[in-house]
Amino acid sequence: MHFLFIALLLVQLLPDKLTTETYAGYVVWFAVGVEILTLIVSALIKKPLGLTLFADIVSFIYGLLIAWTLATAKFNLLKPSLFPPPGRVFWQLIGDYEKIITNILSSVGIILQGYLLAAAAAIILGLLLGSSERLGNVATYIAKFLGAIPPIVYIPYGIALLPTFRSVSVFVIFLATFWPVLAGTMSGVMNVDKKTLDSARVLNVNRFTMLFSVILPASLPQIFIGCNQGLTVSFVLLTSAEMIGAQSGLGFYIKNYSDFGDYTRTLVGLIVIGIVIVVISFGFNKIQKYLLRWKH
Amino acid sequence: MSKIEIKNLTVDYTEKKNRFTALRDVSFSIEEGEFVSIIGSSGCGKSTLLSILEGINFPTSGEILIDGEPIKGTGTDRGVVFQHYSLFPWMTARKNVAFGVKQVNKTASKAERLQIADEFLEKVGLENFKNKYPSQLSGGMQQRVAIARALAMDTDILLMDEPFGAIDAKNRTILQELLLELWEGDGTSPRKTVVFVTHDIDEAILLSDKIVMMTAHPGQVYKEIEVPFDRPRNRAQLVQTKEYNKFRNRLLAMFYSDIVNKIGGEEQSKNVTSELCISCLSRCCSFSFCRIN
Repeated sequence: MHFLFIALLLVQLLPDKLTTETYAGYVVWFAVGVEILTLIVSALIKKPLGLTLFADIVSFIYGLLIAWTLATAKFNLLKPSLFPPPGRVFWQLIGDYEKIITNILSSVGIILQGYLLAAAAAIILGLLLGSSERLGNVATYIAKFLGAIPPIVYIPYGIALLPTFRSVSVFVIFLATFWPVLAGTMSGVMNVDKKTLDSARVLNVNRFTMLFSVILPASLPQIFIGCNQGLTVSFVLLTSAEMIGAQSGLGFYIKNYSDFGDYTRTLVGLIVIGIVIVVISFGFNKIQKYLLRWKH
Repeated sequence: MSKIEIKNLTVDYTEKKNRFTALRDVSFSIEEGEFVSIIGSSGCGKSTLLSILEGINFPTSGEILIDGEPIKGTGTDRGVVFQHYSLFPWMTARKNVAFGVKQVNKTASKAERLQIADEFLEKVGLENFKNKYPSQLSGGMQQRVAIARALAMDTDILLMDEPFGAIDAKNRTILQELLLELWEGDGTSPRKTVVFVTHDIDEAILLSDKIVMMTAHPGQVYKEIEVPFDRPRNRAQLVQTKEYNKFRNRLLAMFYSDIVNKIGGEEQSKNVTSELCISCLSRCCSFSFCRIN
């Protein structure tokens, strides 16, 4: 890994073939940053397996940067307007950081609002509907039918119904999350082990305790299956929606600049979206792992 | 007045248009502070009987009175230990016990409940495992927690449905002795009324004041037998005495005669259920052989 780091630095010293500025310094700074991060992580991670994985990922990034640098700045094998050198992308990323932060906040805000509202509503409704076998059965079929409609097709209708783009996005993300979480919750509630319910009944728990202290935690694994599905779809939806009609957000950032032929910024947008999604998924997995720590 | 009076209890099930009688006209009573075991082969309705006592199942006719009042459902006067899954998997051992305490003692603060939980977990020898989840505990430890919860709830009556049925022989012995010790107590506080369902004759003799033997198809009371041994009991000493072996053989003989009678009767009438009964006989026999050896 450290060998690749040195190789990456050496590659930057080769003479540029590209006539425009390549900002090789930014690649160097980025690599140095990753090296420092690696040192911190190796001090923190105790498990050798996790450390190997991290080192392999870093090696991959270095390898990619070397290949990218060689193909663009150093040998000019690709069309420069479509494939900017990595230094240029990093330079643009830093130069645009204010705009990027605003767009991240806009996108993440919409996702959180739609997603959390939908999850809360679906979990509560699922708990209530699932408690009755008859209601639960019919609601499961309805949720399956409505959940089968790809939520993206609601966008035109949403635009007609709602005043702002933001409310349309929240609405569509709400729908995309609501049905899978509702289906997951009901399936969890209806499949709670009868023995568990009997144990609670003989303890004389009241209805409220039964619902929130027994049935809810017992269904949590299934609820999370729905939540996972909702989260994945939400990202796809939001970025797509932003590319259709928004004036802000990460999808808009990419679409807007690619329309102007600014592919450096398009790449910046792609990388940022990747990072945002990884960070949110990571946080989500941590929460899930914590809440389900009693399993296994 | 008896603590628990079971009066003419009959339970019918309808399953796929077939009508089963799980219990027919079962009557007996249990005194306050008495340890009663219900014993019988599978299908004798002993677990059905217990589920009615628990208040999660209801009879077709007849009733059960507790302190003269008919059972209308679950109640805070009864603590229950099942064979499996009594514990909530998402709560640690200590939270499980504290949760039980909370249901009967609404006035205690959270700290008080946890303190009671710790106290009872210590009694069952799990003070070092109190922050473990059930999935991290062995089957025997889980049953210890379930017993600790039932005891911590401090109910008048304890209902136990084959609590050691799924535990290996060595741990079962340890748990029986633990239960005996905890129930007999040091004589300062009154003993709880216990209804204990089992299919293990030795377990029933060691623990009980009275054994109610039941027969299957339909479930009926075959005999009520007082256990004549003094308390506090000690297994090691008890099993060496002549009286113990005589008593045990008498019970085993009763157990067999009941089954043999049943099979004979079924075959004569060429009843469809005879097949069921033979499978039940083979089970009982294998079980009693291993006991005799």
